[in-house]
Amino acid sequence: MEKTPKMQATNVHVYYGDNHAINKVSLDVFAEDVTALIGPSGCGKSTFLRCLNRMNDSIASARVEGKITLDQQDIYDPKIDVVQLRARVGMVFQKPNPFPKSIYDNIAYGPRIHGLARNGEEMDEMVITSLQKAGLWEEVKDRLEAPGTALSGGQQQRLCIARAIAVNPEVILMDEPCSALDPIATAKIEELIEDLRGRFAIVIVTHNMQQAARVSQKTAFFHLGEVIEYGDTADIFTNPEKEKTKDYITGRYG
Amino acid sequence: MSKNTAVHAPTVWGSEAMQNRISARYRKERRFRLLGLFAILLALSFLAILLFTLGAKSIGGFFQTKIELTIHFDRSLFPDLDGLNSDEASLALTRVDYAALIRQSLMDRFPDVRQRRDVRSLASLVSAGARQTLAGTVRQDPAVIGATQDIWFLASGDIDSFVKGKISRDVPESDRRVKDREVIWIDALDAAGKVKVGFNWGFFSSGDSREAELAGIWGAIVGSFLTLVVTLLFSFPIGLAAAVYLEEFAPQNKFTDLIEININNLAAVPSIVFGLLGLAVLLGFFNMPRSSPFVGGLTLGLMTLPTLIIAGRAAIKAVQPSIRDAAIGLGASPMQTVFHHVIPLAMPGILTGTIIGMARALGETAPLLMIGMVAFIVDVPESFSEAATVLPVQIFLWANSPERAFVDKTSAAIIVLLLFLILMNGLAVWLRNRFERQW
Ligand SMILES: Nc1ncnc2c1ncn2[C@@H]1O[C@H](COP(=O)(O)OP(=O)(O)OP(=O)(O)O)[C@@H](O)[C@H]1O
Ligand SMILES: [Mg+2]
Repeated sequence: MEKTPKMQATNVHVYYGDNHAINKVSLDVFAEDVTALIGPSGCGKSTFLRCLNRMNDSIASARVEGKITLDQQDIYDPKIDVVQLRARVGMVFQKPNPFPKSIYDNIAYGPRIHGLARNGEEMDEMVITSLQKAGLWEEVKDRLEAPGTALSGGQQQRLCIARAIAVNPEVILMDEPCSALDPIATAKIEELIEDLRGRFAIVIVTHNMQQAARVSQKTAFFHLGEVIEYGDTADIFTNPEKEKTKDYITGRYG
Repeated sequence: MSKNTAVHAPTVWGSEAMQNRISARYRKERRFRLLGLFAILLALSFLAILLFTLGAKSIGGFFQTKIELTIHFDRSLFPDLDGLNSDEASLALTRVDYAALIRQSLMDRFPDVRQRRDVRSLASLVSAGARQTLAGTVRQDPAVIGATQDIWFLASGDIDSFVKGKISRDVPESDRRVKDREVIWIDALDAAGKVKVGFNWGFFSSGDSREAELAGIWGAIVGSFLTLVVTLLFSFPIGLAAAVYLEEFAPQNKFTDLIEININNLAAVPSIVFGLLGLAVLLGFFNMPRSSPFVGGLTLGLMTLPTLIIAGRAAIKAVQPSIRDAAIGLGASPMQTVFHHVIPLAMPGILTGTIIGMARALGETAPLLMIGMVAFIVDVPESFSEAATVLPVQIFLWANSPERAFVDKTSAAIIVLLLFLILMNGLAVWLRNRFERQW
């Protein structure tokens, strides 16, 4: 059965000035899957990820060519509202970056600017469910007024995930969300991704092969700005088609 | 690989050459530290000298000599107040010859002084303001008319300087502003316990005056305050808006580069140039009221603007990009990102820059001379459009006065100005700590 992709990149090129960072990448992201982007450092994973919600717009030298769609709609169409696009395609960054505000306000900020809650009760409800979904509720329920920056790194990252899902996006982009975390916090985030799968399309960049194998259904292997191989995670990790992919996932790369 | 290890002998960390290098490094470090210490001590000693000399001189400005006289409120000199309402009564009281009361009192104390000229110089022992003092006493309590009362009056400026020892009695009479006769009188009064030196509250409550003993800085303080209010209201919003726009919204191109260069240039332009600008544009073109805090504030605002913009931009630039990413990633518009996240985080830096700019404006003299704030103004200003003067200009004016008493006033005014500056800079530090401690 042919699934329709939630997001679809077709022949995407990205340039930073003269630096050709992404070269003719085509990739489909499906709503019910977790898609992992793997590849050596500097191969353009973050760059590609940032194209999917147009975060590259704020980098003056960056130029994007090609076509990226969300529900068949071109997101680089001048008529598209970028602000709304970023609400529909949320992002979690490599380094946890909570606002220097209370835990409550961190979560409530997104719903507030998009007018998602009609009153304080609905807002409370939204904050609580987001924290619950992100698996942080039990740890912070007694101190919602404490600053978000006072949490531990792993808690901060889950706070950022809670903040992203509070806006109710359709796609969540995660750029190495566990790179600054210890194995326990990492396990929690992986569990969380597993929980969130199905409700949001998830694209995750990771350097951890086991993590990619554990959490994703689709995997794309990037190398020097190109997608070398893209397919079901099971296939990529057990039976890669390309020699480069095999070298990389078995750690012989370099 | 193997080649390299062959060329490099293993490092002997304990060798003598290594020890020498280490001690040389320590010597260098010590020398540098001494040099730094010396620089700081030098700067501190200059500051100490300044504060010490100022402080020593200013004491004379904060204290004032007073003379006690026994005044008989001779009923024959006063109008009949019966049947007058209060307005008419106070009008009638202003016409009373209070100087005669003071003259009479002094003549009673020194019965041998009879010559007209001598009486006049006898009367000039006390300040010209003594008449106002008397008028005030009567206005407050008309019942004193007909009674006799001991009242303290300010001594005149020269007598004040003499009592404080600023005018030496060893100087030959011809070179002395206080003549031998006056010395005898004042000594006699002093012997009778009728002379004292007290804290000069009037210094903090009155405006400028030609008479040193009456001159105060309240007018200048109010003028400075009004001027700074205008400066702040003008330059803070404009400076902040410009900084935010340039940092967050303006495209990066030749034109914005040019603007940036110009702003940096303006920050270094001598302040008097802004005074000329104010003179030509605000007074000449817009016909705004001369010498007013409004014009002064705008002129200083123009002067402060570049500093504010530069400080604001630096503060905005220092906000972590990750916070911006977080907001944008949630779908906040550029405006929302700036106003909800960037500006609050940049606020401590912006406020510090603002207060330092304000402190500089508070101490500024030259541009205000250009727009006529150098006028001699007795009245304490009550609005933004009235003629006013400011603290540093007041200092400038007093410093140019020949009377000895004004020298002390100058130092005292400088001390007050320094106190305000310390207060403002302290406020800047406090605000910064407060805002930063929040998270
Ligand atoms: N803001 C930028 N300006 C200019 N060049 C950039 C910028 N960001 C990334 N690049 C360049 O684009 C290329 C891809 O970078 P990118 O950050 O996408 O790599 P990555 O795959 O995410 O690497 P890593 O795994 O180390 O995070 C690199 O050559 C990098 O130097
Ligand atoms: Mg990256």
